[in-house]
Amino acid sequence: MKLNSLPEDRSSVSYRAKRLFRRNWSGWLLMLPGLLLFVFFVWAPLAQNVILSFSETDGFEAAGFNSFENYVRVFNDPMFSKALVNTFKYIFWSIIIGFLVPIFLGLLLSEVAHFKSFFRLGIYFPAIVSGIAVVIMWSYLFDPNPGAVLNQLLSALGIPASQFLSDPKLTIPLIVVTMTWRGAGGTVLVYLSALQNIDNSQYEAARMDGAGALSRVWHVTLPHVKPTIRMLFILQIISVFQVFYEPLVMTSGGPDGASVSLLLLSYQYAFQSFDAGASAAVGVILALIIIALTVVYLRLSRPKKDKISKRWLRYAKKINR
Amino acid sequence: MLKKLTAKNSGILTAADYKKTGFRVLYGAIIFVLLVAVLTALIPVLWLFLSSFKDASELTSTPYHFFPKAFDIKKLAEVWNMLDFWKYFLNTVIVVIGAVICSVFFNGLLAYAFAIVKPKGWKIFYALVMASYMIPAITSIVPLYNQIVNLGMINSYAPLWLMFGANAYYLMMFKNYFESLPKALFEAAEMDRCGKFKAFFKVVIPMSRPIIGVVAIFTMTAAWSDFLLPYLILQDENMMTVMVKIYNLQSTMGSVQGFGPDKLLMILTISILPQIIIFALFQKQITGSSAAGAVKE
Repeated sequence: MKLNSLPEDRSSVSYRAKRLFRRNWSGWLLMLPGLLLFVFFVWAPLAQNVILSFSETDGFEAAGFNSFENYVRVFNDPMFSKALVNTFKYIFWSIIIGFLVPIFLGLLLSEVAHFKSFFRLGIYFPAIVSGIAVVIMWSYLFDPNPGAVLNQLLSALGIPASQFLSDPKLTIPLIVVTMTWRGAGGTVLVYLSALQNIDNSQYEAARMDGAGALSRVWHVTLPHVKPTIRMLFILQIISVFQVFYEPLVMTSGGPDGASVSLLLLSYQYAFQSFDAGASAAVGVILALIIIALTVVYLRLSRPKKDKISKRWLRYAKKINR
Repeated sequence: MLKKLTAKNSGILTAADYKKTGFRVLYGAIIFVLLVAVLTALIPVLWLFLSSFKDASELTSTPYHFFPKAFDIKKLAEVWNMLDFWKYFLNTVIVVIGAVICSVFFNGLLAYAFAIVKPKGWKIFYALVMASYMIPAITSIVPLYNQIVNLGMINSYAPLWLMFGANAYYLMMFKNYFESLPKALFEAAEMDRCGKFKAFFKVVIPMSRPIIGVVAIFTMTAAWSDFLLPYLILQDENMMTVMVKIYNLQSTMGSVQGFGPDKLLMILTISILPQIIIFALFQKQITGSSAAGAVKE
């Protein structure tokens, strides 16, 4: 520094702004490409959707504020109340089938000593062949034709032929079965890794105390996997709000709305009845539900040392109140 | 066979328990249930493979036979040629390659900024990423579609590639990995007055081969089976991906001369083969990291 120059005032706003910029500009530049993509593909559509949900629409574009009209129209649509009721049916069946099956399989997989990697790969396999092709495959497996594979199997067992997906009572449970078929493998692996992290000395100590097998499961295993179970329970609920492809491909939401999900309804409003406002309204409701559930999920899954998400969660909690 | 059981010394049940007959029976039951689970996982796809070689009448014949009368490989060629299916395969490969590049580069770079560089304000963006993490794009599909139309990107692969550059799940996998790298590495790069961007290419990328591989594999299978956005964007028949074409074939079934359910099943088989090959090649990476990623998210 030259001797005759005045010492810069280090507390001045311009000095601090300059310092802030000098220290961070390269980091900001690094974040820019990724953040631009998040803006384009995630955040801007979400924000515009909020605007759209409060707007009159001209085609797919917003054309003037119309307050809560879209929401009122959606709430008065019998299809929306069907989708809402279906959501609870989806949640019920996905807890019965989708949530319990992986816990059970994870437990068995952690105990098995033979062919372990074969079992693990086999159970995970469906997760890898996901996509619309597999959903179409299921709609053929559930062919209600009495000569089709499953109905012939039923008749061999002496059970009358089923309408499968066309039976309003069965359609949601069957969709949940296919979702579980696809998703269980990944979840089982998560449980498996949690189970394998349990320190063996705890089992030994329990055995020393004369604990039987069941009591070992109850007093050692369960307390250790409880956080994982809690976390995956929330994920399971979130996944219900993401149900889309299965009803789209297998039933188009039918029969008579018996399997329509909120997400599918939002899509149908937009691309079948071309009501972008209603679609946006349902989308906004869904996004809010999912954000709330995500906050709960993050709180459960985050290791304690991470301060920022905690602070963010506390903040989010404040808004939610 | 029993050696493994009498040597088992960890877990809930150990060799001590397996001395008793009751527990041995229980172990048999465990094996049985797992076997049933694996069969449940495999049989639907096996059914698809076998059924795709059947002709239309065989699909619903009584008594039902699981295996086709003949494995006529000519049927595969016939269906393939009838639809010019190589075209859709090639399109999908283009989508997948672009998606993998975007996914690794953009998510990796942002994760590097979040995990190592940490410029002021990164936490705000990180919190935003996490909050919107599980919201499916379909909730705001109309505005997204509008944006793409307004940029004139209908019938363009660019949005399909770039979409994979904004994926919170891959971002988190990168971030977790970068945070586990030794800090000294980045300090050394700083000492060398190596720019931060340069350090990403010279230090971070070479050190991150395993995680890059995992994200690349995950992106590959996700991009291969991606449906909704390709369906909305790729309206030109010649640009369609395999999944879009399959959906069209299924929803217009019967209107195409000579294209029945048996041929659709063959197309389904063809379309999931690449995923199975990827799985066979990279099973360890796939099953190893899907658990790790989900726990740490």
